[in-house]
Order: sequence, then C-alpha cells, then structure tokens
Amino acid sequence: MRRTAFLWIGLAAACVALGAAAAFETRASRIQAIKTVGIVSAIGEEMSLTRAGLTGLGNVAQSASISAWGLDELIVQQVTRLLSGRFRVQPVNYRRAAFAAVRDSAVAPVNLLRGDPFKELVRSDIAPQGLDAYIVITRARSKLGNGRNVEGVGLAEYRTLLADYGLIHALYEVRVIDGKTFDVIEKRAAAPLDNTGTVRIAGPSGPVNETFGGPASGERLRAAIADLITRSLPVTLGDMHLIDGQ
Amino acid sequence: MVGIGGEYTPDFVGSKNSKFLPIPIFTIRRAGSIDQFRGPRDSASIALLDVGNFRAGPAFKYVSSRKSDKYSELTGLGNVDTAYELGGFVEYYPVDWLRLRSELRQGFGGHTGTVADVSADVIVPLIQRLTISAGPRFTWKSTNATAPYFGVDATQALASGLPVYDARGGAHSVGFGSQISYRINPQWEVHAYVEYEKLLGDVADSPLVKLRGSSNQTTVGLGASYSFDFRIR
Repeated sequence: MRRTAFLWIGLAAACVALGAAAAFETRASRIQAIKTVGIVSAIGEEMSLTRAGLTGLGNVAQSASISAWGLDELIVQQVTRLLSGRFRVQPVNYRRAAFAAVRDSAVAPVNLLRGDPFKELVRSDIAPQGLDAYIVITRARSKLGNGRNVEGVGLAEYRTLLADYGLIHALYEVRVIDGKTFDVIEKRAAAPLDNTGTVRIAGPSGPVNETFGGPASGERLRAAIADLITRSLPVTLGDMHLIDGQ
Repeated sequence: MVGIGGEYTPDFVGSKNSKFLPIPIFTIRRAGSIDQFRGPRDSASIALLDVGNFRAGPAFKYVSSRKSDKYSELTGLGNVDTAYELGGFVEYYPVDWLRLRSELRQGFGGHTGTVADVSADVIVPLIQRLTISAGPRFTWKSTNATAPYFGVDATQALASGLPVYDARGGAHSVGFGSQISYRINPQWEVHAYVEYEKLLGDVADSPLVKLRGSSNQTTVGLGASYSFDFRIR
C-alpha cells in the first residue's frame, strides 16, 4: 500500500518536472523566434495615495492624475532601448485607457477560467497588427500591511504605534503576447528591487525620507518614481530572458 | 515559506498535563506576494476571494489521533482516529489593524461533526518590523465532533472507571490569544504566541476533564520562518 503511494507520488513529481521542463522549452523557443515587437505601457495615468497600518475608520485610498508626468512614455522609451539590441522594436498605437482599465477579478478561479484579458485587447486595440510579439506593461497589485491592496504607482504612509513610514511604489507586470496567436508567452510582475528593506510590498518600492511638500515636490516625486522604474525594468526584462540578466 | 517551531501544549484536549511538540512551518503563496497576518489557531486556508479587506476560501485542519495507550488518563477510553476537517473561512478587516475571522469545518475520520471557530485579532505594528496581536476566540462544536473525545459509553465506563457520560455539542471553548512577531529581514521572521482556552459546556463537564483533566488549556509556542521565491517557469 505504502509502496504504491510512493510510486504514485514519484510519478506525479516526474510529470510535474517534465511538464515544467517542456513548458520552459516551449517558452524559450517561442521567445527565440521573436524578431519584431511593439511596446504598450499603461501604468502611469494615476497615482494612489494610501494610508495603512494604524489608521482610523473610513480610511479610503485616494488617487491623483499624473498623466502629465509621462511615465508611460518613459517606460516605452526605456524598454525600447533595452530591447533594441535583440529585437526590432516598432512604435505602436493603442488606447492606453483601455489597457489601464483592465482589472483582475477578486475571485481567483475566475481569472484562471476567463483567460488573460489583455489577449483580446492586443488583438483589437493595437495598430499595426502582425508583429511577432507585443510587450504589454500594466499595473500590478500588492498587499500593504493587512487588509489593504495597493497597485500601480503610488505614495503610501504606513503608520505604526511608534513611527510612521513613507514609501513610494511602482508596481507593474510585463506580458509578452504572441502577435499571431495572441497567447501569453511570458508574464512576470516586477520584483522588489533589493533585499534590504523591511517594507512588505511585492514590487519595486522605496522609502520616502523627505516630505513631498512645497515647491517642486511633484517633480521630486516624479523623479523618485522614474528612478524605481528605470532601475527595475532591466531586472524584470532580464528575469524574463528578454535581455541579458542584469 | 519554511520554518520550524515548537509548542508547549496540552497532551490532548482536556488534559491537565502538557508536552512539547516540534511544529514544521510550511506555507505556499504566489511568488512575489506578501504573506498576510496569520493566527496560531488558523487552519490551513487559501483565499480564493480577495478584495483587500475581505477574504474567503476553503480551509482545512488536521486533527491528530488520540491514542488511549499514550496517556494514563485515557486508559479504557479507546482510540479516536485522525480527523480531517474541511470547510471554509471568511476574514474581514474593518480597519487595517483589526481582523475578524470565522471558520466552519466538517469533520471526516475520527469525528464526523461540525466545528465553528470565531476570532478577533487587534494587530498593532509597534514599528515596521515588530508586530503584536491579541484577541478573543470562541469555538462551537456539534455533538458528533464532541462525543468521540468527551463522551463515555458503558463499555468505556467499565474499562476506565469513569462514569457514563453523554457529551453533547454546543459552546466548546472561549479563550484569548496573543502573538508577537519580529521580522529580522524580508526573509527571516521569528514569532512567539500564547493561546488560552477555557473549555465550556458538556466538554468542561465531561468526567475526563472534571476528574482527570482540566478545563483550562494553555498553549505556548515559538518559531522561526524563512521566506523565499521559487518559480516553476
């Protein structure tokens, strides 16, 4: 009985290992075959302002428009520069608001069953069609403290009993979508930038040691967010084997 | 997340003696995601619904068997097999520092009853790395979840010397728990906790508890855990 159980467990483990290896092989070969790419970015229209930790009742996250900061243009520019050595990057037109409006369902199985919502958008909303692949960069989500989600670009304050901490975040995920079949070849959320911080957030973030008040504060905040994006993009694209790892 | 901990806990529910048990810590979550507050009494669970301050999903608890030959107080009462409790949980944060959680589970194996747990935890981050939490707990169990552990039938009465007792379901226990956790760095965390339970109703009145055990149940534990990302590409 026990021997049979071990046999089944061994078979299951072998199937998982073989499946993972086959999937990796397929993904790697599909990325190898890509010659032309278009880049879509839709994370930088809004910034969230969040308070977490020891907060009062009715603490609702707010948001502010930051479309004037041109973060999406910066991302397209940076990714184009990073990928140009390996792919022929072509400019594409798309409705940024349509890509920014897509949200994951709160019910996890729904996300598994309905498939990736960006596939259809890439098919219907991007011009020109027919490139080998499209790199789609959209907002990612993380928990901040307990019971609070943050996503995309934001400024957060985490309150504790003895101190308050400020942080900025730029949470995004990158998809590589096949330009012919519109399958998602690869998908990855940008990881935290280093292992030294203790702020628990699942993506690029950094402490805010200065107060973003007074003149030129918006420009300083933009520069800090842009720095997070600029430093994390090479790491994320490297993790996806789109460029040599940084 | 993997880790190791230890727990000084009653020999069995209702016992007046305690033992030290090593506890493996093993949690899987989506790569890159942040682990959420977890109480020592929480069952293993997966949040299939997560809207930030409200989470819900299936829950599972393993209840180890109770062997009568391991403890003299149980002599003559026979064994109770391992039980597997399967059900669901809901969790709500009215504010970031207050968690309300409820679980409802159906037992299979050693008992075939229904178990409901309700708890509240005030979660206070003292500083970014150091968090304390504390709150009340309440457990309700049906007759089928209570009788195998606390009832004494005629055969058991003869063999054990305890009076015959018909244990019915109802309020099982009320208690209080507190936990402190310190995050050394993003990977390493250490924690310690204490959980006190006062057995109630037919459970507290059971001759096993009244004559040979105690209705006061205290568990003290500590542990260390290490988080890491493992991606299957």
